Amino acid sequence: MKQIIINELKMLFRVRVLVYLTALFIITLIMVTWSGSAQTSQQQQQQQAAGEHVREQWESIDNMNPHSAAHYGSYVFKPVTSLSSIDEGINSITGNVLRLEGHMQNEIIYSEASQTLSVSKFGKLKPSLLLQYIIPLLLIFLAFASVSSEKETGRLKLLVLQGASLRSVIFSKAISVWMYGLLLLAVTVAGQMIINSQGIGKDSLIRITLLSLVYSAYYYIITLLSTWFSARLKTNTASLSSMLGLWLLWTIFLPRIWGNTTDKLYPLPSRQNFTAAMQEDRSQGLDGHNPSDKRSEEFKQQTLAKYKVTSLQDLPVNFDGLRMQADEEYGNAVWDKHFGNNYGLLQKQKKFYQLSGIINPFASLQSTGMALSGSDMHHHLDFLQQAENYRRTLIKTLNDQHAFGGSKTGERAQKENNQFYRSISQFEYKMPSWKLISIHYVTDFLLLAIWVLAITIIVFTTSKKIKLA
Amino acid sequence: MKHLITIMQNEFRHFARSTFKIISLFLFIVAAIYGLQNGYTLLKKQKEEIESIKNKNKLTINEVTVWYDAGKKGPDDKPWIDVTTPVRAIWYAPAVAFKEPSELIPFSIGQAEQYGYYKQVTNRSSTMDADLAEEIANPERLMTGTLDFSFAILYLLPVLSIILLFNIGGLEKDLSFNKLIEINNINNKKWLLARFGFYFFLLISLIILLMFTYALLTGALTELAGNFIRFCMLIVFYTALWFGAFYFINLKGKGSAGQAIKMVSLWIILCIVIPGTVHQLVTLKYPASYMTDFLDASREETYKIYDLPSDNIAQQLLTIYPQLAHTQHGKDTLKNELIIGNSTSGITNQLMKNAVKKIENINENKNNFIRNSYFFNPVSWFQNKMNSLSETDYDAYYRYRQTIQQMIDQKVEIQLMDSWNKVKVDKERFLRYVDTFSNINKK
Repeated sequence: MKQIIINELKMLFRVRVLVYLTALFIITLIMVTWSGSAQTSQQQQQQQAAGEHVREQWESIDNMNPHSAAHYGSYVFKPVTSLSSIDEGINSITGNVLRLEGHMQNEIIYSEASQTLSVSKFGKLKPSLLLQYIIPLLLIFLAFASVSSEKETGRLKLLVLQGASLRSVIFSKAISVWMYGLLLLAVTVAGQMIINSQGIGKDSLIRITLLSLVYSAYYYIITLLSTWFSARLKTNTASLSSMLGLWLLWTIFLPRIWGNTTDKLYPLPSRQNFTAAMQEDRSQGLDGHNPSDKRSEEFKQQTLAKYKVTSLQDLPVNFDGLRMQADEEYGNAVWDKHFGNNYGLLQKQKKFYQLSGIINPFASLQSTGMALSGSDMHHHLDFLQQAENYRRTLIKTLNDQHAFGGSKTGERAQKENNQFYRSISQFEYKMPSWKLISIHYVTDFLLLAIWVLAITIIVFTTSKKIKLA
Repeated sequence: MKHLITIMQNEFRHFARSTFKIISLFLFIVAAIYGLQNGYTLLKKQKEEIESIKNKNKLTINEVTVWYDAGKKGPDDKPWIDVTTPVRAIWYAPAVAFKEPSELIPFSIGQAEQYGYYKQVTNRSSTMDADLAEEIANPERLMTGTLDFSFAILYLLPVLSIILLFNIGGLEKDLSFNKLIEINNINNKKWLLARFGFYFFLLISLIILLMFTYALLTGALTELAGNFIRFCMLIVFYTALWFGAFYFINLKGKGSAGQAIKMVSLWIILCIVIPGTVHQLVTLKYPASYMTDFLDASREETYKIYDLPSDNIAQQLLTIYPQLAHTQHGKDTLKNELIIGNSTSGITNQLMKNAVKKIENINENKNNFIRNSYFFNPVSWFQNKMNSLSETDYDAYYRYRQTIQQMIDQKVEIQLMDSWNKVKVDKERFLRYVDTFSNINKK
């Protein structure tokens, strides 16, 4: 088998057109990897500059009432990771800017996709576009005639007569084409690692290794299947058209149809209903800006009882700040309920979508590709969660200062100095480790592994029955 | 001519015997109907959503007119509200800017899922507000894209054409009886053309039939007949271009497999590689904006205005709106703090308009970059042309943002004029406000 693989590789590289094509492909891959990294680094600089600009504004606050500062709020900008230069995933679809303020959990806005005319339905020319769409097609082109042409010329019989089993011929031919795919993959991965050598830590290494593994698995499926079709079907044309049909089904057709079905199975609320439902729940709670509402009155009585005083003026703290925080906590419960419901639906949609990997290994590849590059929905939701946690801490800090900072109830002139505002730390997003995210991707890994195993078993068990001519 | 018809008849027999081709055509029709239905569902959903907002607005209007009739100034639990003042009356007069969906949406959903199509407008609104964001959707599904009719046409139709055409003339070369055709005194070019013609007419008739059905269903045939015909012609032109390219591939081809590889490569280059490259270049030249100019205007600059003394604010207002000088308050020597305080939106609106203009200019530069690529990126041209006809492209939403801005301007101006004229708002005036704002949508 080893000898056949070596021979096959030699024959592949004897074809001058393929050598030129490979060289062109490698240059393209390196350029695409470089341009992906350049774009990511440019975006990182912009994001950093925007973050610094907003922080500068925060740090220049002086003599401001803490609650006014809560309304003034802050902004966080969605960071881009170095690995997203391989696969941008959902980054251009989701917004980039999130406003953090009192009384409100906002949604992330200003997506890149909404800033221009429509360009590409398959995404930018990033390494993932080549790795997911183009290289598999190239592998199909290399493998579709690998056995059938041997059949047509009668060489297959000769090989079998010389002692090679048909099974080993099929596997050897598939593996040689697969190795060609691995070469292109290795160039991309190496390029990525060299260009971004500074930003690669242990977690990134794990991610890149796994990324290489899933792509290798997908290429294995594609090449083995193409070779098998080539062996089973009567003509080159039949084998090529079958594989092209399958490629189209997997990469173009199924992801969209399954995605739309998922959307219909677990429908998300319309923005209007979502907002109205939140407002309705919010209106049932305590209104920090309306001291006369029922809940405010109840809270007032509780506070007076707690501090064992009879009037707000006797309180050692500023009741306005306490009421604002109580308002905030009620609001948080409302946001948790409604945003939580949406996030829950998104997770259900994702799980259902992942099941499409049973019939479509491309879905598993795409899903894990995004996840490993840190540009999938789970990383996005993690960013939103970390930002929301920061917002809650920020507003609580401001409300606590309002309540316990030394002022009395009703003292609207209470203002905090610049030192206080500077003391509040900046939002820093920590990208979750792969260990934390991986639990969402067990299905995809498992399905890819099952595909690899199933295809191997099918080819292994059926290759004996294939006719030699 | 008779000869050509005979070739086409024979081609029909060839097609009818090919299960693979029939299944492919069937799948394409299913995909096209699925896409049309997706668009139709979106059209219905948007219309229903808009109708439900309009109904809610009617309830608000009724509620407020009841207050006027009862001589009340607002809701009982909010005693500080006084709808006889222009500020509150305008606040309560529903002003929702809608982007009514075009009846051609089923043919191209375009960028409709990336933008909001209704917005509650206040005098503090802007065209970059968060509530103008797109409908809540799964970002991974948005990234994968929706299978709409235009996707079926732009991407799947060429693929179907490849399946139908790759062995036309190629099979004869595979089996080495292509010379036999020439011996029979058949012109190879015409023979190929007639065979291609059969598939061209088959596809076009089916597509037009499907489109006609949905146009009847949505009313596009009567409401937007001109655009519908343009849409059909665009599809015919697009299909003809692909058929033309494939014709030359087959004419020069040496066999089915080689032809298929060339056709698929062309598809990959035109549909995936070139648009992807242009997309990447746009982002490299114009990185995604974090909108800091707008954020500064809507927060930092706005807060600075709140801190300004009344006289300063009044002076700025008089510069932007010179007509205020002729109002009652404009003629007063002493300025009313409350009126001035409620008029700051006149300045912030201007600030935000300036910031938005900068962002829109950058976006326009990006769009020009994309437009300039059309001569080597035809698929994107067809895509945006289709989106434009169904009013789901960037430009359609830009026009919608302009409508929103008109509504904001109107709200701000009316509030300023009526507040400065110290108008006491009654039911008739309130209803006039309602009419004025709703009429902007109809323009």
